[in-house]
Amino acid sequence: MPRMPRTQPHTYPDSFSLLESAPVAAVVLDACGHVLRANPHAERLFQYQPGQLSGLGIDMLVPHLWSAMQRDATGMQIDPAAPLDPLRAQRCAQTPGLTRETRAKRRDGSDFPAQVVLHPIPWQHGWATLGFVCDRTESYELKRDRQELAHLTRVSTLGELAGSLAHELNQPLTAILSNVQAAQRFIEHDPPDLAEVRDILNDIVDDSCRASEVIRRIRAFVKKEELELVRLDINGVLRDVVQLLHSDAIVRGVHLSLDVDEHLPPVRGDKVQLQQVMLNLIVNAFDAVRDVDPLDRVVTAFAGRDRDGMIRVAVRDRGHGMSADRLERIFKPFVTSKAQGLGLGLSISRSIVEMHRGRLWAEKNSDQGMTFHVTLPPWSEPETARTAE
Amino acid sequence: MSDALREPVATVYVVDDEESVRRALSRLIHAAGYRVEAYGLAREFLAQVAAQRCAASPHGVPEPACVVLDVQMPDLSGLELQRELDATLPAVFLTGHGDIAMTVGALKAGAADFLTKPVRDVDLLHAISQALTRSAAAVQQQHELRELQSRLERLTPREREVMQLVVLGRLNKQVACELGTVEKTVKAHRARVMQKMEVGSLAELVRVADKVAQPDISPKPAPQ
Repeated sequence: MPRMPRTQPHTYPDSFSLLESAPVAAVVLDACGHVLRANPHAERLFQYQPGQLSGLGIDMLVPHLWSAMQRDATGMQIDPAAPLDPLRAQRCAQTPGLTRETRAKRRDGSDFPAQVVLHPIPWQHGWATLGFVCDRTESYELKRDRQELAHLTRVSTLGELAGSLAHELNQPLTAILSNVQAAQRFIEHDPPDLAEVRDILNDIVDDSCRASEVIRRIRAFVKKEELELVRLDINGVLRDVVQLLHSDAIVRGVHLSLDVDEHLPPVRGDKVQLQQVMLNLIVNAFDAVRDVDPLDRVVTAFAGRDRDGMIRVAVRDRGHGMSADRLERIFKPFVTSKAQGLGLGLSISRSIVEMHRGRLWAEKNSDQGMTFHVTLPPWSEPETARTAE
Repeated sequence: MSDALREPVATVYVVDDEESVRRALSRLIHAAGYRVEAYGLAREFLAQVAAQRCAASPHGVPEPACVVLDVQMPDLSGLELQRELDATLPAVFLTGHGDIAMTVGALKAGAADFLTKPVRDVDLLHAISQALTRSAAAVQQQHELRELQSRLERLTPREREVMQLVVLGRLNKQVACELGTVEKTVKAHRARVMQKMEVGSLAELVRVADKVAQPDISPKPAPQ
């Protein structure tokens, strides 16, 4: 908390004039949160005529800002109906550089995402609060677009897998139907073969669970949710993806194997997004071995721990590999070797991994094919840990 | 289900890589009174069953049987597997999502039936019984063929030569001329051929010769 200078409050009689032409919305608030001054940028941002902002409560422009600020400053709940306590607001205004991501309201009532930074400044005979308001619409939309795009590519990937997923569902349904019809026969026997019927019922339970598990995985994969960073077992993520791709591997004649260290520490991440990365890498590996000898149609996914403590997942294929210049380009958007591909898979995967503070890169194998590596930092805040499953 | 109910009990092979499906299909087919043998790998099935069926009888003619198999197998596709099977082991295909091309391909290659999963018991059992009928006919045919072949093996080389010419419609005289012998000898050979081949007429002998159409009995192209 800055010391309150008692001398020379008039040193900068109107320091605000410096901000008149600043390319950011700036306002000065009195102890009650009313606007004393506003620069033209602020007037434009909130769509007011010049001078009209003066005297307005900041809560009209950034709803709940002032009361929330007071709450933060005093650490107690304020009755919103009670008159604002100038002393308390002032104390709050003394907290420098208070930053808030919130929503601000234009004059016509429409709102937009905004970042507000508040700072105490000496003002005339005492103190006031200088506030900057930044329109965050663009970065907010960018973030939302990226999530939307990630969701779209997930849906389109699943679309490509629809056939094999149908097969995956069909198998338990086939088993259930045949089991039920066998049971109907065993019950007609004289005496009824109840031991067999009991076994059958157990199998039906297992197969029903399997079918709903397939559906759960599909739904979890296509659901559109806010990013949720939780404590995750990366092996579980990989296993779910390998299950999703089980039938696809068979149809394509690819041998997909999983080689994981069972004692990996958890990572911090969004399950669906990391699944998307793994799925993308494995499906790419399937494509990479499409034209090779059937014996070489081998894809292996590894999970282990690096010497520096990072968790590493690697997907290795035995395809034709690619040239060095192509290796450079594949992570750029709209670069694809597939007729139906959007060319977004790897670029989205990389942005997802980087968002997780990890890295994604590709290397040529010394013998044959490619390996895609993902490293992710291990989970590090056990006190707030929450397991995804 | 007692074996006395059907004598002999036909065998149905079930080949599916998915254990739960394999078990359920086996149960259903077993409940319908067939003997069931299930395999999880196409190659394993081929190795086991081919050996078994060769050793099945002294003449190498197997019992009627059929195979119910999934089109998609991890080690060998159902269609590839079918190519390895002979007519005595017809295949009933099951598929998760059979397209027209796949169905036509399988049926052209001799599939007994092509059913989509999940399959109702009546459809599956009907297909199995039809496949077994086909298998029985093929087995019967093989039996006959083997029998005829063993009769053929009883002929002396000379008798064979005579038979080859006789079934072409040559007269004894012509045969004698071609073989550089006399008509009387040909007549004697011909009588022994009829006796050893267990036929009563020339027409019957011609039919037998057609059935056993093997390189050593089939007529050489007539000289122009």
